[in-house]
Amino acid sequence: MKVFNLVITVIFITGMMSCTLDKTDYEAELSAVVTDEHEFEEAASFNSNGYQINLEALNGTLFKGYNELRFNITETASNQAVQNAEITFLPIRRDADEEAYSCPHGYEVTYDSTNDYYSSYAVFDYETATDASWEYYFSITIDDETFTVLQEITVEPQPNMNLNMTAFTGNDGEQYYIALIAPKSPSVAENELIAGIYKYDRPEAEIGSFPDPSQFSYSEVQNATLFLDPRMPEPSMGNHSSPNNQDLTQGDDGLYYGVVNYTMTGNWTLNFILQSSNGDVIKGTEVPTDFTPGVEGERGELHIDILF
Amino acid sequence: MRFLTITLLLLTIKMMGQEEDVPLDSIQELEEVEVTATIKKKIETAMKMNVSVDEFLASSDDISFIKRGAYAWEPLLNNMGMERSTITIDGMHIFGACTDKMDPVTSYVESNNLASVNITSGQEGSSHGATIAGNVDLKSKSTPFSMQSNWTGSYQTGFELNNKQFYNQGDIAYSSRNFVAEGSISYRSAENYSDGNDQEVDHSQYKKFNTSIGLAYKTSDLSSLRVDAIFDVAKDVGYPALPMDLWLSRAIITSATYKQFFQEGMVKAWDTKVYYNAIEHYMDDTTRPENLVHMDMPGWSTTYGLLTKLHLSKNRFNSEIQLNAYDNLSIAEMRMYPQDRSERTMFAYSWPWVTTQYAGFSMNNSLEVSEEGELNFGGSLGVNYNHSKYVDFNWIFYPGAPQEKTRWLPSLYTGYKQQVNQFDFSIGIGYGHRAPSVSEGYGYYIYNSFDRYDYIGNPDLKNEVSYELNASAGYSNEKFSLGVNVNYFYIQDYIIGRILSLGSPMNYQSVGVKGYTSLDYATLFNFSLNSSYAITHDLHWNGTLAYARGLDDDKGNLPFIRPLSYQTSLHYQSGAFGFQTTLNGDLEQEHYSPEYGEDLTPAYTILNLSADYTFKLNNYKTVLQVGAENVLNQYYSTYADWGNIPRMGRNFFASLQINF
Repeated sequence: MKVFNLVITVIFITGMMSCTLDKTDYEAELSAVVTDEHEFEEAASFNSNGYQINLEALNGTLFKGYNELRFNITETASNQAVQNAEITFLPIRRDADEEAYSCPHGYEVTYDSTNDYYSSYAVFDYETATDASWEYYFSITIDDETFTVLQEITVEPQPNMNLNMTAFTGNDGEQYYIALIAPKSPSVAENELIAGIYKYDRPEAEIGSFPDPSQFSYSEVQNATLFLDPRMPEPSMGNHSSPNNQDLTQGDDGLYYGVVNYTMTGNWTLNFILQSSNGDVIKGTEVPTDFTPGVEGERGELHIDILF
Repeated sequence: MRFLTITLLLLTIKMMGQEEDVPLDSIQELEEVEVTATIKKKIETAMKMNVSVDEFLASSDDISFIKRGAYAWEPLLNNMGMERSTITIDGMHIFGACTDKMDPVTSYVESNNLASVNITSGQEGSSHGATIAGNVDLKSKSTPFSMQSNWTGSYQTGFELNNKQFYNQGDIAYSSRNFVAEGSISYRSAENYSDGNDQEVDHSQYKKFNTSIGLAYKTSDLSSLRVDAIFDVAKDVGYPALPMDLWLSRAIITSATYKQFFQEGMVKAWDTKVYYNAIEHYMDDTTRPENLVHMDMPGWSTTYGLLTKLHLSKNRFNSEIQLNAYDNLSIAEMRMYPQDRSERTMFAYSWPWVTTQYAGFSMNNSLEVSEEGELNFGGSLGVNYNHSKYVDFNWIFYPGAPQEKTRWLPSLYTGYKQQVNQFDFSIGIGYGHRAPSVSEGYGYYIYNSFDRYDYIGNPDLKNEVSYELNASAGYSNEKFSLGVNVNYFYIQDYIIGRILSLGSPMNYQSVGVKGYTSLDYATLFNFSLNSSYAITHDLHWNGTLAYARGLDDDKGNLPFIRPLSYQTSLHYQSGAFGFQTTLNGDLEQEHYSPEYGEDLTPAYTILNLSADYTFKLNNYKTVLQVGAENVLNQYYSTYADWGNIPRMGRNFFASLQINF
């Protein structure tokens, strides 16, 4: 009987001590929409001229937006990694009329000797669809021997809104691209915001034989400033913004670095104004700073929506 | 200054140590044991015999209240809020789990499990933890061991007409030579009250259940072990002044105490307590369809603590040395729901898992210099450690702020009391530090519906430092007494919210963001005058006048400072009948602070009446009381009514108390 009483008491006390509602698992909350798993995995592999070429991308998939690409070349016969290849690559999209376009990409593939891979990137502006098929043109030179490879690829829709991109025509009439690179999985915190800003180089030379790289040339925009104004567009948030953000400026690696503070999880709009190195506004408008509860936040002319 | 404190503390210990070889006086020591065992006071006011804890505290001159509705008033001690005072239950630290201060500690107890409330003003209250304003210690009931086994108990029931409040309270105690068991249970429920214009004040209802149990066992002639638990649940509580109500709050407050008395030596008693309390608090806005945004705002606060106290006595010297340590974890979340509920919810912490650890060593000494003069002195040295688990939240406004912060909190005070014939005088000084509260240090977008700003905590705030002066003078004879109390605080690095130019509000009702910042200083002056007069043997008069003034470093007014207030009461006793009437009110609040959302509050006067009759019911002493509050049905709100919500209009009450 005593034991019974004790058991009842313990159960009663435990019942009283346990919480009525569970606390939020913050880590799970942050990965509810965006997973934090970002591993480089094989996206494609092909053989040509006695060599095997492996292409690695994040999670093994190519997505719309910025993709960091890593290549490995192995000599099939000796199973030796090749480190002295000269590689160029060109992604080509064909629309329904078989017209060819490209997108910002690193044409010259460089060898990263510390990590033992060749690295480049591509900013796909369309995902694969009936009117958009993508392929890679590789030109590989090993020991003065050059061969080309054509590889069809699939560009998936971007599942992570934090890696969104936008393409637009600037006030100067040029074609620009802004692609988010980081944070891949933001938190309610100061987040380092990294973006790539690219521009289509209008070809000056006559069209050569396809694929003529001079017709599909893109470059990083140099010394521009990307002014940042993050807002929560949700009507109930009344055009809420965050403090202590830093505009993006170009780093040594050509990418643009800034700081975005997200004050809570949810939908955010990154409003941008892109200003050229000589101070001209290429694109973007100021957004009102008024607190407007119940009204969906106004977005600037140049913006990217994110969600976490 | 810190060095000075330590030196002084060490000196005090040294002085005491030297007195050890003086012979002992065992008669005095036995008296001491007696005194400790029979602390018992009634929780009732001049007007009402059955009151809530809030109503009881309101009858003290030192306490005023910020009221957000009919329930859980926030006590202000010396016109200072919860951050600047410590509120403890038997010395135990408990911290509310609501970022909007909907649950002060006093809301988790009930009048029938309390024996008394000890209010200590200023640094004299620092033995319970670092404070500026002082300490409010709620003493729970503790039935002493008795020679013969006996049962005692009481039952109270009552009804208040205005808000249809109905309550039932019972308590029972069994005591014997070496065992005591006691328990209490209480349930109150009230509907919306009506103001002086007979308008119903929506969202002012509440339901509260409270129960407590205490078991004590005499382990030897001079020692005992006691365990206590209080369990409190409040449900469906409306806060008419706030945009949200309370769905549920729950507290479990437990402790185990070991007491040892000593017959010989300078150490008379040793008292050690370990305690644990957990509070959960869930706000609810589903009853407010006018709200644009649906939000969940749950909060949790868990505290573990240790309290150990030595009581020393030697001739005319008495001393209490105390070690006080606790660990608190405060968590508050907010989750906002978008208008399209299929969209992602928006989540943030308003308290990002903030740990507070405190350990303090304190002593209170009193030395009877002569038959008429007494010197009191003491102090404490505490170390306060804070840790914010999700410091990312704090970095949004204060990039690079430290995740951990350790502060030293010294305190010193001394006072002298002198009796001259029928006059008595006292004068005292104090010096003390306090650490910022969890909200002041680490709060994140905590919406204040009073000034309509979102508040942000600053982890780098300096300690608030108080320099205090107090004095009193009194006269009393058999029929008449008059007393004056004044105190003056000069508070350096006074913490208060100031508008931040950066950031935009998060809560839709908010107009901007304020950050807690330190003013260079602020000053606070409190004055009270008490008088009583026995007009005849059966007719007694009591009067109180209180005034306070608070200024910031720019000579601007501080918020929530009580204007000149008065209370006068008459009590007439004729045999079994008693009649009492009180008249109380505030003058116009001239010195209001528009910066903190205050406006000019007009003067008001409230008249209350009650009558009681004591009789025997089956040999049990029974008291029946009826009365009316705000008899003239005045429409009013006080300077500290959040958002100027009107107070209750005319209210008739009846209560019955049976003691057995």
